[in-house]
Amino acid sequence: MTSRGISIGVARCLSSLEWLFGLNRGVPQGKVRWVVDGLAGALALGVIAATPAAAQEKPSALGLGIFTFTSGPAAAYGVPGKNAADLMIDEINAKGGIRGVPVSATYVDEAQGAQGVIAEYRRLTGDAKNQVVIAALSSANCLALAPLAEQLEVPTVGWNCDTHQLLMDGKSKYVFRPNGNTVPEFIAYAIYLLDRKPDVKTVAIINPDYAFGHDAAKIFTAALKALKPDVEIVAELYPKLGSPNYQTEISRLATARPDVVFSNLWGADLENFVRQAAPRGIFTSSQVILALGETVLQRVPLPDGVIVGVLGDGWWMSPDAKAKPETVRFAEAYKARFGEYPVFPSIKMANTLIYVKAAYEAAIQKNGGKWPTRAELAAAMKGSQVETLTGTAQTRADNDGLVDQIVGVTTKTPAQQFPVIGDMVRYKGDSLMPQAGQDPLAWIATLKPEFAKSLPKPGSYK
Amino acid sequence: MSNTIIPLLLDSLASAALIFFAAVGLTLVFSVLRVLNVAHGSLYSIGGYVAASICLFIASRQLNPYLSFLALVFSALFVAAIFGPLIERGLVRWTYGKSEAVQILITFGLFLILEDLQRVIFGVQSFYEDAPMRLLGTTSIGGVVYLNYQILLIAMALLVVIGLRLLINHTRLGRLITAVVTDREMAQSIGIDTNRIFILAFSLGVFLAALGGALATPTSGIAPGLGADTMVLAFAVAAIGGLGQIEGAALASLIVGLARVLAIYLAPSLDAVAPYGAMLVVLLIRPYGLFGSVTARRI
Repeated sequence: MTSRGISIGVARCLSSLEWLFGLNRGVPQGKVRWVVDGLAGALALGVIAATPAAAQEKPSALGLGIFTFTSGPAAAYGVPGKNAADLMIDEINAKGGIRGVPVSATYVDEAQGAQGVIAEYRRLTGDAKNQVVIAALSSANCLALAPLAEQLEVPTVGWNCDTHQLLMDGKSKYVFRPNGNTVPEFIAYAIYLLDRKPDVKTVAIINPDYAFGHDAAKIFTAALKALKPDVEIVAELYPKLGSPNYQTEISRLATARPDVVFSNLWGADLENFVRQAAPRGIFTSSQVILALGETVLQRVPLPDGVIVGVLGDGWWMSPDAKAKPETVRFAEAYKARFGEYPVFPSIKMANTLIYVKAAYEAAIQKNGGKWPTRAELAAAMKGSQVETLTGTAQTRADNDGLVDQIVGVTTKTPAQQFPVIGDMVRYKGDSLMPQAGQDPLAWIATLKPEFAKSLPKPGSYK
Repeated sequence: MSNTIIPLLLDSLASAALIFFAAVGLTLVFSVLRVLNVAHGSLYSIGGYVAASICLFIASRQLNPYLSFLALVFSALFVAAIFGPLIERGLVRWTYGKSEAVQILITFGLFLILEDLQRVIFGVQSFYEDAPMRLLGTTSIGGVVYLNYQILLIAMALLVVIGLRLLINHTRLGRLITAVVTDREMAQSIGIDTNRIFILAFSLGVFLAALGGALATPTSGIAPGLGADTMVLAFAVAAIGGLGQIEGAALASLIVGLARVLAIYLAPSLDAVAPYGAMLVVLLIRPYGLFGSVTARRI
């Protein structure tokens, strides 16, 4: 035990040296950085390898490192995730925890940037109590943490992590994503749009200026061009993430006069865009698609007919979700505690915790009742199929997730004071995903109009 | 392109008006106190939060919605009355005559405190109240629907430039400020209460920052992080115009507004860098800014 403590201490010292000398600030330091990283990694591996018996002892408490945005503009998306984690952990503990082990969470604010997030990840995983990490919201942070998760051999579950680049090499052993990714998420919008508005000629795009915005534009455009080659992109705008004012962008969209405006703005950015675009007639002059529109339904008055979705199946009011008493109970408990119904980031987080709990139970069962090591836990996640609050999360051989995609349009209902999603379609998770290892954009380019015809139609999901 | 000229010009003016409100207070404070107030952006967002809160209160009590226009100005006065004297007497005055590094560190510390304070009080969700914008309606110009509130903002920015010039040149307070700016020790020796001038000038700077935030609220959301963004943009404008130059800030706002709008219309990928590109070009040609000089100090 003493040697383990010393090893952790030395590993932390090396990490501190790395920080002290600025080796982790993007300054090329060549071999020095390589050596420090290597030593830190080797020591961490040593810690794990040296204590197999301890890792299999049933712990008195299970710690989870949960990475999300709790500050900055992205907190509008990250805090609902944190709220759901708080609620779901309370529910798990109220039912006796995981095989009698209570669960607790340590939250890390992703707003500190990739270097801070990496340092926090090292710190958390250095403590054997934290056997699994739920990270992260930001695709950039997911990409930054993935190599570290493999190096330190810590099961790391992406609760959001939309980027399709995360698991593209198919070699990941410890990184999992029980969600869809940018490929099925944005192909779904192209197919739904063409079903609903087959005569579309011109499209304008306004997405946030980072990987998620650019990837989404690329995938949505590629899918549209494959399925309807005469579609023209008349404007592509990428305002800075966290921009409070979109008036100029709205003027630019208005002058382009597109048939369709597509956006994957999110959080406070999306709220601001909707509030500024609505009085200036964008929602009446064009068919608007808000890929993350469900997150603002309770907060801004979206007009009818806007195409919205949940980047997956995580809508608490979907027919499947409504049929599950535990989902209805979760939504009502969330509303009672936080004043709003859960939005899809909340559901994604709750589903991720269900996924982790299911993996523990499967690993314990496979292990003859013994508490699993990190490696055994990761093995239990591979190829798993887990019933979530809103559907099924299936994990492929490349650790990527298959979940269904729900898309619809905003509509009013007497049952709620805010708009809901109507005229829905639910695409099967595997129908919009390339095979493991296949280049997504190359696969999208092969799609033909017949492909879209074979899929369910708007209004078919009731 | 011809059908985009009018929207392009109008957008540039509307964008410049918002940028000007963010920058003018910073430049005024620097001209009088010679202090670069890094917490200026936080005061801008506090003005926005207070204005939105009052407007939401008016809406919740179903009071006359036109009161929200008064609320915008009142909230700026409120913030200035509370934070102006408090910050100047409590913190900033200890930095007079100290190096710029000390001033920046102290006001940066204040910025961090104010940012966290906003998060604790107002939460992390976006704050928004658009009653003033809705009351004024819209106008179609060149085939593009504009908010009349955007046009009001342009007029307000012009009013502030004229008002500040009148204050400095045609009032007793303005002459006292000019005297302190020109030669602080001489002003003190002839009996001008420089401490009072500093409090008033700093509070005026806070008022302008808070007014900017308040006026922006009906068309922009207020969310955590706004203060930092505002600060960076305000620095760019102050650098282009020349630190301490009010007319310089106005012209610089126009340049930055035009640069941003041109980028959005013609090269959207350059949107984020356009203001700083403009700053780079101006500083390469005039290192002290458009209206700045090495020796002369004007306001």
